[in-house]
Amino acid sequence: MTSFQSTLAEGEGIAEELAESQRSISIAEFFEKNRQMLGFDSGARGLVTAVKEGVDNALDASEEAGILPDIYVEIQEAGDYYRLIIEDNGPGITKEQIPKIFGKLLYGSRFHKREQNRGQQGIGISAAVLYSQLTSGKPAKITSRTQRGTDAKYFELTIDTDSNEPEIEGEDTTSWDRPHGTRIELEMEGNMRARQQLHDYIKHTAVVNPHARIELREPSEHMKYERVTDQLPAETEEIRPHPHGVELGTLQKMLDATDSYSVSGFVQEEFTRVGGKTADSIIDNFRDRHFGREMAWNAPREHEDGDVAAAVEDAVANKGSEATSEFAGAVADAVDERELVAHHQLVEVVASFAETVGEKHDTTFGDTVQENAVEAAWTEITLERTADVYSLVDGATTDRKDDAHVQGLAERVAAKFENRDDDPRDRMTRTELEEYVDKSADDTEEYDDATFGEKARGKVVDALWDRMRTVPDEVPKISAIAEDRDMASELHDAMRATDIIAPPTGCLSPITDDLVLEGLKKEFDADFYSSTTRDASVHGGDPFIVEAGIAYGGDMEEGGKSEVMRFANRVPLVYQRGACAITDVVKDINWRNYKLDQPGGRGIPNGPAVIMVHVASTNVPFTSESKDAVANVPEIEDEIERAIRDSARDLKSYLKKRRSMEKRRRKQDKLATILPAMADKLEGVTGKGELNIDDTLARIMNNVLVEREYGEDSVQLTVENNDSTNAQLEVTDIVTEDPGEVDGANVVEMDGEWFVKWSPTVKAGEEATIEYAVNGEATFDIQVEGIEDEKLTVDA
Amino acid sequence: MSTDSTADDGDARERLIDLAAQFYDQFEHGDVPTMSIPTRTKSNIVFDDEKGVWVYGDRNSTRSAKTVSGAQKLLKAIYTIDFLAQQLEENRSSTLRELYYLSESFEQQEAQFNSQDESNQLIEDLEIVSDVRREEFHMRPEESGATVMGPLKIREQTRRGEREIHCQEDVGEGGYQIPNDPDTIEFLENDADFVLCVETGGMRDRLVENGFDEEYNAIIVHLKGQPARATRRLTKRLHDELGLPVTVFTDGDPWSYRIYGSVAYGSIKSAHLSEYLATPEAQYIGIQPEDIVEYDLPTDPLGDSDINALESELEDPRFQTDYWNEQIELQLDIGKKAEQQSLASRGLDFVTDTYLPDRLDAMGII
Repeated sequence: MTSFQSTLAEGEGIAEELAESQRSISIAEFFEKNRQMLGFDSGARGLVTAVKEGVDNALDASEEAGILPDIYVEIQEAGDYYRLIIEDNGPGITKEQIPKIFGKLLYGSRFHKREQNRGQQGIGISAAVLYSQLTSGKPAKITSRTQRGTDAKYFELTIDTDSNEPEIEGEDTTSWDRPHGTRIELEMEGNMRARQQLHDYIKHTAVVNPHARIELREPSEHMKYERVTDQLPAETEEIRPHPHGVELGTLQKMLDATDSYSVSGFVQEEFTRVGGKTADSIIDNFRDRHFGREMAWNAPREHEDGDVAAAVEDAVANKGSEATSEFAGAVADAVDERELVAHHQLVEVVASFAETVGEKHDTTFGDTVQENAVEAAWTEITLERTADVYSLVDGATTDRKDDAHVQGLAERVAAKFENRDDDPRDRMTRTELEEYVDKSADDTEEYDDATFGEKARGKVVDALWDRMRTVPDEVPKISAIAEDRDMASELHDAMRATDIIAPPTGCLSPITDDLVLEGLKKEFDADFYSSTTRDASVHGGDPFIVEAGIAYGGDMEEGGKSEVMRFANRVPLVYQRGACAITDVVKDINWRNYKLDQPGGRGIPNGPAVIMVHVASTNVPFTSESKDAVANVPEIEDEIERAIRDSARDLKSYLKKRRSMEKRRRKQDKLATILPAMADKLEGVTGKGELNIDDTLARIMNNVLVEREYGEDSVQLTVENNDSTNAQLEVTDIVTEDPGEVDGANVVEMDGEWFVKWSPTVKAGEEATIEYAVNGEATFDIQVEGIEDEKLTVDA
Repeated sequence: MSTDSTADDGDARERLIDLAAQFYDQFEHGDVPTMSIPTRTKSNIVFDDEKGVWVYGDRNSTRSAKTVSGAQKLLKAIYTIDFLAQQLEENRSSTLRELYYLSESFEQQEAQFNSQDESNQLIEDLEIVSDVRREEFHMRPEESGATVMGPLKIREQTRRGEREIHCQEDVGEGGYQIPNDPDTIEFLENDADFVLCVETGGMRDRLVENGFDEEYNAIIVHLKGQPARATRRLTKRLHDELGLPVTVFTDGDPWSYRIYGSVAYGSIKSAHLSEYLATPEAQYIGIQPEDIVEYDLPTDPLGDSDINALESELEDPRFQTDYWNEQIELQLDIGKKAEQQSLASRGLDFVTDTYLPDRLDAMGII
């Protein structure tokens, strides 16, 4: 179990799980004791948490109904308390639904839904209701109008802290300007010291929910975040849990609750990705853990002492010599044919010939006879255990091991099999086998002066375990497993050990890279944006998707660290930044590679940048109960890193280009002072006329030069490309006189002005010209598109 | 005025303006102004068989306005041309150092020099591209103070009229000071057998005190370290015009060999003027590494920079002779260097009584 939090996420957990062990205390007391866990540890934090729960709830409600969310949050000072109002335009709720949503603390479905939803984040609006009630003594005031409702309904709700049951006190009909939606009003103790976190939370929520309109009004500020897309997040489908993703506690609850009778039915019914074949593998793994395996020994060879036929013949009495002999021979041949035989296989062989030979000779080889036969044959088969063990140990250890030591270890291990008087079937669990090998190796080291290291021992265990056979015993029924924690644990282990294909990922709803981009553009006035949505991956049994986005430059603050925005299932994480895997990954990336300043080559980079990361999963692993920081799960960290690097690569090429353009601009600026000064002096020294340096400058800068030359009654526009690549330009010359038809360009008249539109493609080092007739009165206004300003010189 | 001056003042000014006009034309055609000059490094000097001196090879460096630093250099060149043209027009002169300080007054900051090396180098660049010597620009170096002592009578054109001077009789112990442009000197008469160029002041004073110039009819030229152009020019004229053999007497270390090199072969920095400044027939007296061994002179060990310098000389085209190869290898072998004045370890008169006569005799000078 990664953290206590996982269990919380698994099920409705908290209240029941904790209250179960604290039956004697009231829910209020429980709340008091667990304030921190619930995110209400201080007045400042309590207000933020209440807003968070309310907004998450409101967003979920609207989205589930397919409505584009319009959320209004208001915080008012109300005497000693703060009044928090949260309104949504969701479907509204009926009286019957109210307790389910606002009441009963930590009410949840029977098991945690394998679905990406915000609710997984918090512990619910009900905690806020309770917090409000406990601190101010006031009930929650709820106004709601359903889509078909003519009137809005008004309720006052309190929670009975003894029974953890909600009670509706006031009930009334009221008028409300929203056509549908829900409004909740809570009064609570609090303060606005966490104003920054509150603003961050709202702003960040707006970034990852570009389809929502969010408004916040608090005592000193008022902010609105408009909707930029009408695209609702893809609906998520719920999936059953994946066998690799459940914790033991959850499994036990599932065992308690299932209608299935057999293990096979249970794993196929309750889990995703488990069919008959996978169920069989799980059951075999369960058998290995529950019953152990049986060692398969080599059947006695001719030159060896063991003689199965003779032994069986001796063991069978009163069945007639012919039948006895045929029976014994058949068993011996079958054993011989199998070469390797485990006890249960011998039992099977004996039983099958008991029947066939018995029928043929019209006699009955009964249970006792069969048992005797098995015992006799088994004794023969296991006469030479040491030889078998020796070959396995020898194969598993290196050639350099002293033969006498291998022999010593083999003898001791073989003796362990032999001396199991309580169980003659040579059956044991892997744990037992490990103990035997360990003990034998210790003894061999002690008495034979040998060395068997951890690795060698492990290999010997592996070799022996591989030789051992899974037994066909009937596995316990679900009801038995549910009652026995050890068995449940064995089943849990077995599920973990079975190869099962990864869970489906359709249950995830990423923001998508386009909308990440939109969200960033909406809230940050930057020069550059990039975003990435990775493909789904799996950690444990839970699928997850990581998304990243970067915004850089523009209006963002130059000095100081970049901002890191963390999200889990579309909910901003505003606390415990330092404990979060997202922050860790950002810090570990060498941002200098991506052209950002990073003192010491580690840590949050400096500069006017925002780095956002969104982790969407059916089960986001958090570091603690308050769900503020993503836990350091390697699979998730890897994906976070890849997502950030993807976006950072775009940033790098942008910054590279920008820097080269800056350099270019600096050079051009410098030359723009030097060259005229040169020209000026040259004019003086040579006594010649005025010089124009534009052409020279364009040539030096490899610029594209657009030049106008005036002839008599005509002008010429020339594009000279001094760059090393093709230039594709859109030149628009706005002329105040009619230029007539222009060869190579389009002329459009608009309000007494003529737009000469020319789109030349000029190869490196070449030039292109158009000419048109105008009289001397004409004035011109030229615009050139299709090339960076830094690379363009217009002299026209 | 000397006979082989390449240009008179009017001509010098015109050439400068021609150079400016080239830049003007480049601008006018929309081209990028450029100035191409020979690369001034060891690897780009070649021996001119005809003239017997080392000159620049074919490799050129281009100062182009394509880069900001290139454009700055050209801007400075144009400002300097403007200044020189004015100076010539007004028939005034200035020192290299004055030029450096003068640039501080340019209103265009980009045209100001960052260091005197930069302005010195620019003047050399302009000499090369305009084919006008610095002296003709009326640019002087700082006073080098190098002197001549010996049986020679000259006439110097000074700003205060002509002066006739005998370099033994009309001068004090300090000797006759070489003017910045030795082409203003006319040789009248002499009674000399050879020229002896001496690196250090101490040794020069020793020779004068011991009356070496009188006893051996030697014209003692004080090089004062790396010799100034004027000193080298005068030495060359003494050789070319008076037919006197030239010998060079320096310390026995790699830096001093370079002093000899610049007298005899021309310096790398001013190889464009080698024909005018170098005396290829000049002979090296010592201190030779072999003298260190032979006379068991007091020495200092070679430092790392000495060794590097010696190794670099082994690759210097100017030192590719058997003699120098042998001497340098020997010095690297013994790992020692000696000063001229270390000869005093054998007595103050040893140098004039024994060492120099022996060496000059061996070289066939006396």
